[in-house]
Amino acid sequence: MSESSALGHGRGAAPAQDMETLVGYILQVGVLLSVALLAAGLLWHWAATGSSRLDYTLAGMSFFQFLLADLQQALAGAFRPRLLVSLGIATLLLTPYLRVAASFLYFALVARDGKYATFTGFVWAVLTYSLFLR
Amino acid sequence: MLPEALFLVSVAAGFVGAMSGMGGGVVLIPALTLLGMDIKQAIAISIVSVVATSSGAAAAYVRDRLTNLKVGMFLEMFTIVGALAGASLTLVVPQQPLYVAFGLVLLATWTTLLFQRQQAEATTARQDRFTRWLDCDGSYYDQASGQTVRYHAVRAYLGGPLMCGAGLIAGLLGVGAGAIKVLIFDVAMGLPTKVATTTSNLIIGVTALAGTSVYLAGGLIDPGLAAPVILGIVLGAFVGTRLLVRLRNQVIRRFFLIVLLALGVEMLVRGVRGAL
Repeated sequence: MSESSALGHGRGAAPAQDMETLVGYILQVGVLLSVALLAAGLLWHWAATGSSRLDYTLAGMSFFQFLLADLQQALAGAFRPRLLVSLGIATLLLTPYLRVAASFLYFALVARDGKYATFTGFVWAVLTYSLFLR
Repeated sequence: MLPEALFLVSVAAGFVGAMSGMGGGVVLIPALTLLGMDIKQAIAISIVSVVATSSGAAAAYVRDRLTNLKVGMFLEMFTIVGALAGASLTLVVPQQPLYVAFGLVLLATWTTLLFQRQQAEATTARQDRFTRWLDCDGSYYDQASGQTVRYHAVRAYLGGPLMCGAGLIAGLLGVGAGAIKVLIFDVAMGLPTKVATTTSNLIIGVTALAGTSVYLAGGLIDPGLAAPVILGIVLGAFVGTRLLVRLRNQVIRRFFLIVLLALGVEMLVRGVRGAL
């Protein structure tokens, strides 16, 4: 079986390469952004208070509630060290999640590969459910 | 516990993890408990940092076309279910069995590293019908030989359930369980070493996320403690990976193996002594 038929009939000569570029890009940008936000938050907190300990917990909140609360604060312009650290953690956790979501959309819409769309769709659904846990 | 101390310990853990090939979590968790952190909190914080290290490494591997995305995405279905179960179990069990389990997994992983074959070749075994149905044959460019290596997977029906077990361990103990995944790819599914390690890395990110979601809901993830750990372990792994390319020294490898053995025995002893 030739490579192109094995990977469905997507656009261009090598559809799998598009997907690899996309996945690689999502992972790279996600991790770099997350690390930058965490470092900025901790350094800002340290510069402002002289203390390196940032005290707060996330008890009783699902990931999506946590994300929503962060985004609301960010949109309101209420930037402070704590928010940057929260956004850093949220970005980190969204990175593999978005990678799975992008793979699902790719298999479903571009490659039109029902088998792998089902596999990645299942993973996406389970992760979505687990991130709603509280 | 001082964030500066957490940061430094995490740099060391990321560094040793990258140099030894065991991953950061396996070193990080014993180190954090030695600093006096509760083992469940150490597990929760470690699994968040595993998301960072594995995603960072996976990005490079995927773009180098070493990772088999299809094999990875098929097996993720099994590892995330295992990870959710494992993490849920950790929330309810007492601490001592976790120490024992961690010690045992560390020693088992250590043994597989010790007897690691240098490079496994692509299998020549006949492909079964189920794996053929999965349509996941691949190829990669091997820089050392300058050739494109074609390979196929076998026994995916065995790889799936085994990966569920690897995910269970990852979720239960807050580690990537990369060595176990590589072993499954190698022994059960006949993938060449390069594809096995890079594909395992891709799966680890999603598996760790599933585990993290349970610990997050359990209120065990304190961002003020997690942030310095994540930054430290990413930095340590980055430096360790760069150094690894330059020095492939057997002496250094042996030194790290001794450190890891000591950590494994220490965890086991703490678990067993506490239970008596």
